[in-house]
Amino acid sequence: MAADALVRHVVAFGRVLRAAGLDVGPGRVAEALSGLDNVRIGVKDDVYWALRLTLVSKAEDIELFDRAFDAWFLRVRRDELPRRDEVVAKAVPDAQPGPREIDPDAEAGEGEETPGWTTSESLHTKDFASMTPQELAELKRLMKDLAARRPLRRSRRLRRHHRGDILDMRRLVRASLATGGDPLDRTFRKKMLVPRRLVVICDVSGSMEAYARALLLFVHAAVGTGKGVEAFVFGTRLTRLTPELKSKDAEEAFDAASARVVDWSGGTRIGASLKAYNDGWGRRALTRGAVVIVVSDGWERENAELVGSEMRRLQRQAYATVWVNPLKGSPEYQPLAGGMRAALPYIDRFLPGHNLAALEELATVLEGIERRHAA
Amino acid sequence: MAFSSIDDLERQLLETGYLPDRGLATALFLSVRLDKPLLLEGEPGVGKTEAAKAIARVLGARVIRLQCYEGLDVQHAVYEWNYSRQLLHIRAAQEGQVDEQELFGPEFLIRRPLLEALESEEPVVLLIDEIDRADDEFEAFLLEILSDFTITIPEIGTIHAKRKPTVILTSNRTRELHDALKRRCMFHWIGHPGLEREIEIVKLRVPGVPERLAEQVATFVSRLRDIDLAKPPGVAETIDWASALVELGKDELDPETVEATLGSLLKYHEDFENVKKSALADLVMDVVKSGLQT
Repeated sequence: MAADALVRHVVAFGRVLRAAGLDVGPGRVAEALSGLDNVRIGVKDDVYWALRLTLVSKAEDIELFDRAFDAWFLRVRRDELPRRDEVVAKAVPDAQPGPREIDPDAEAGEGEETPGWTTSESLHTKDFASMTPQELAELKRLMKDLAARRPLRRSRRLRRHHRGDILDMRRLVRASLATGGDPLDRTFRKKMLVPRRLVVICDVSGSMEAYARALLLFVHAAVGTGKGVEAFVFGTRLTRLTPELKSKDAEEAFDAASARVVDWSGGTRIGASLKAYNDGWGRRALTRGAVVIVVSDGWERENAELVGSEMRRLQRQAYATVWVNPLKGSPEYQPLAGGMRAALPYIDRFLPGHNLAALEELATVLEGIERRHAA
Repeated sequence: MAFSSIDDLERQLLETGYLPDRGLATALFLSVRLDKPLLLEGEPGVGKTEAAKAIARVLGARVIRLQCYEGLDVQHAVYEWNYSRQLLHIRAAQEGQVDEQELFGPEFLIRRPLLEALESEEPVVLLIDEIDRADDEFEAFLLEILSDFTITIPEIGTIHAKRKPTVILTSNRTRELHDALKRRCMFHWIGHPGLEREIEIVKLRVPGVPERLAEQVATFVSRLRDIDLAKPPGVAETIDWASALVELGKDELDPETVEATLGSLLKYHEDFENVKKSALADLVMDVVKSGLQT
């Protein structure tokens, strides 16, 4: 192949990848070309690796790259090449749009006097499941303050601090120049407190929907407070919600996610979902040092034992585990459901979270949470 | 250049005791050729760190390793002043005048891995291990260093790399790295090796391992990876286990020995229980028999 033709070919291939959703800019294409300069372009393996090494930057994109490569260089029909959103969509069954409780128009009227308006006093103790759209909108505002309260850990970074306990040596040496080496002028630094990572794994299946919606408002507000908040939702499957929560409105993110993970006929698979989390994310040490909050009513129909063993794995890696179960808000509630009972021994704090007052309790617990179980 | 082609590099890596697959060999080859950092990702134990050491042996370079962790800062990654020496120096000068410039000069500098790699006259491989564990801020800082290979120390000025080190970064993917950092690097994903290659690796890394044992060990481990485990064993574990078995004088697997030595393969109690439950003895016999037929 003439050099010119090769350049055009690779540039076009870069465009194909970009259309398929890969992050391929002109810089990467230039890299790919200089990669090809250094291998034998008559050898398929060499071409494949030179292109993959320079054009792919995520493990998730390898499969897509492989298909595009086959299509482009090995002449598979191009219309078989999927777009990324189709790859995702294929994994999702046609979920019927669930009963959408919140009328988009209602949100616009936030803060105005509307029929059914309640003061925040009674909003406090009202069960999330029986809230009107207006009340939920008001809730969104209240959540912001609540979510700003995050568990903290000591960072290794030092800041100058008048009651610090670590000598600022660099400053001290400099000051000692004036006093012939006598360290008279001492300034101190302190390890500052920074937010501890928070992982929220939320059940959004039918019975939990109203509560999950409210709790995700809380999580959304928490994501807005800075780094280190991760959100996952599950029904029959688990999916990571963090990117959506960062870029979208909480409601929109919620609806899109629940469409992806809830099989309306399928019930909830708590154990399998926790396992998916532990395998896919916990193993990559996302759990380590984090406070993990599981939000679910504990109704596992398939495999209660799995809920227990996966919670044990989770607790062993996490800094602390919290289970939020809205049913606990009812005074008669006993954690007898199989999944819930299996999980109990591996939970550091067990809380209701069915109304705003309960969420306040959650925020207070999070602020002061300490490691209870042995490491 | 220490090698002329990918095949040549592959052969030389093999001579140092490292058996790469074609993709990894190409990655290392291009990383050195194009002078571009290489980001290696993969499950723990697939040989990411080993790869850096192996390419260093081929290049005749020293490995300078920066192990990342949460809270890693400039004092531990780049440089720190030797304060006690500085104070002693002021004291020793007594009445004499001490020049501030002298006090914050190169001889009072403690060099940490990044500075050491930049200042080295000899060829080095800079291994930045588990970059995903460091904070975002550190990643941004690292990006600066990787783009122009200079470090600025306020008191001394800007230090330019004497010769560009070969840079290898590893990540276990606890979090997604910044796109900007990825753009600076070539990316390679290392998976578990296929059965054939794992047998070769065991034979290469465990001196004196009987052929049949190597085959059985690799087969058994690959079967284990099919079972649902919290932490599937990596190549590193396979090598450890094979060494243990050779040490015990075994030339074949048997259920008792496997049960007694399973600890070098499985690091979680649950996995241990899980494997025992799934009829360990049958699994071993199955592996042994399948080997006999071939």
